[in-house]
Amino acid sequence: MNKNSNQKIITQILCIAWLIFTLFPLYWIFVTSFKSPIAVTGGPTYLPWIDFEPTLNAWHDAFSGSRGDFFATFFNSVWISVAASLIAVVFGSMAAYALVRFTFKVKLLAGVVFAASGMSCYLLAKEIFDWKDTTSMGFAFLCALILSVTSNRLPLPGPILRNNDVVFWFVSQRMMPPIVSAFALYMLYSKIGKDSGVRLLDSFAGLTLCYVAFSLPLVVWLMRDFFESLPIEVEEAALVDDVPRWRIFLEIVIPMAKPGLVAVTMITIGFVWNEFLFALILTTGDWQTLPVLLSGQNSYRGDEWWAIAVANIIAIAPMLIITILLGRMMRSGLMLGSIR
Amino acid sequence: MRDWSRHVFIWPATLVVLLVTLFPLVYTLDLSFQNSRLVPPLPPKYIGFGNYIKLFGQERFWSVIGNTSIFVFVSVTLQYVLGFAIALALHSRVAGERLYRITFLLPMLMTPIAVALLWKTMFNQQFGPLNQVFTFFGYANPPFLTENIWSYGSLITVEVWQWTPFVILMMLAGLQSLPTDIFEAARLENASSLQMFLGITFPMLLPLSAAVIFIRVVEAFKIIDTVYIMTGGGPGIATETLTLFAYQEGLKKFNLGYTSAISFLFLIFIIIFGLIYMVILKPQIEKRR
Repeated sequence: MNKNSNQKIITQILCIAWLIFTLFPLYWIFVTSFKSPIAVTGGPTYLPWIDFEPTLNAWHDAFSGSRGDFFATFFNSVWISVAASLIAVVFGSMAAYALVRFTFKVKLLAGVVFAASGMSCYLLAKEIFDWKDTTSMGFAFLCALILSVTSNRLPLPGPILRNNDVVFWFVSQRMMPPIVSAFALYMLYSKIGKDSGVRLLDSFAGLTLCYVAFSLPLVVWLMRDFFESLPIEVEEAALVDDVPRWRIFLEIVIPMAKPGLVAVTMITIGFVWNEFLFALILTTGDWQTLPVLLSGQNSYRGDEWWAIAVANIIAIAPMLIITILLGRMMRSGLMLGSIR
Repeated sequence: MRDWSRHVFIWPATLVVLLVTLFPLVYTLDLSFQNSRLVPPLPPKYIGFGNYIKLFGQERFWSVIGNTSIFVFVSVTLQYVLGFAIALALHSRVAGERLYRITFLLPMLMTPIAVALLWKTMFNQQFGPLNQVFTFFGYANPPFLTENIWSYGSLITVEVWQWTPFVILMMLAGLQSLPTDIFEAARLENASSLQMFLGITFPMLLPLSAAVIFIRVVEAFKIIDTVYIMTGGGPGIATETLTLFAYQEGLKKFNLGYTSAISFLFLIFIIIFGLIYMVILKPQIEKRR
């Protein structure tokens, strides 16, 4: 009995220690945002009114716009993350649904054909036909697509990939280091801008497109589990009555998967909101997002902690709200399925 | 009788992923075999494996790989051990468990750039609260971000702070999914908590642990945000990570061919790591099932 209570004390100490470790930085940034310059450089202080005299100056500066255009950047972040998440959730849940309810057979050789023909068509167009980089790129992509889809219908030997492998293919995209494609996209976007005048660098469309692509693996993975947990009987009944698939999807499946869709959308918004590397590389000014603005604050006013604290809180607050909402949903057992 | 609508469902997502994430690789792969630079301009010329050979011969490249690996290994180990311990504590219905559950998750979705800035003020050598703690114990003004070992420690602290919640979340969900009757049987046999953990909990959660560690390792290898803000790769290049190195070469020096080669090696490295990990763990996981 004594041993048991010892154990209880140890776990309680562990939890309290971790609680302090987790919360102290948050508290620190919160009080720092109310400090005056003197209160910062006078050494660490923790308690407003006792340690230092709180002021609203930093907040006032941020909202009056005298410290750079916070609002424009804030809304850039909002539009881009909402748009990218919505598109990704729509496309991703369609794909996830298809992967649960239909069977796909993709020949491994067709994938090899895609990569090989993409590469060779690109080199052919660029070196032999002497086309521009972007034209060759588009040409190669179409060739590769057509060749691989046709080769998939031919009776080719080799292993056949099934639904699970397709899901794995989607998920494995997250393994790819972002710098690889960020750099490639930067080159491609700037080439497209030079060759055709379509502006993708530092634009809403360019950044949103790349975030959609990078959120899709996550959405497909999570949504597939939600769809798998849905009962199939209703859908089968509707199929017998000759209801078209898209109506089944929109009118039966989507309403049932609503909690899942909401959770996945929130997670995706969080990912896009926090993303730094793509935003840093693909934007230069107009469509900067909050993380890029924040990283600039670091070099311009490294010592003005009060300003940094306010900017930090503005960036973090929406994420804290999302985390708390998600935490509540998770308690009701919603996310359990997706973990296995 | 084939249902054509499945193509309508699957293709939009597939096309976007192919177009944006995979196809640009063709372009960089091509570029990685060229000698191409923007500043000062160097007209593109094919040089075979020249970039790769140059990279392998560069000490900086190896030091960057070493830095990143140590960083990933230490921080993921800490995250896993601490996260699992805290998940066990929460699962044993410690008092105040509901409060802990919500607050422990808070760091997870916070913007890494903001987190790094926040911790940079915490680690300030003069005005930061951590300096005060160290001064109290008789070690004034520790070089948190300006000396090799210290800056590693600082970066790892931040990573652990932000990502342990992910491990807690996953392991807690795993613990809750375990069947309770085994534990009751073990308790009737008078098994101690340690015996139950080593004999039941840990083996049963091994597949989940493998997945969690894998996700964390892959994500940690990509790290740039924290390092970019807190040390900028310094002191010198002591904390430079792979992504930061590639970024510096590509978008500060505009060494296009060279950067493409770095990116590709990085990609190959991650793929090999993934394969090795799966080959080692697959039999283990399947044996336990």
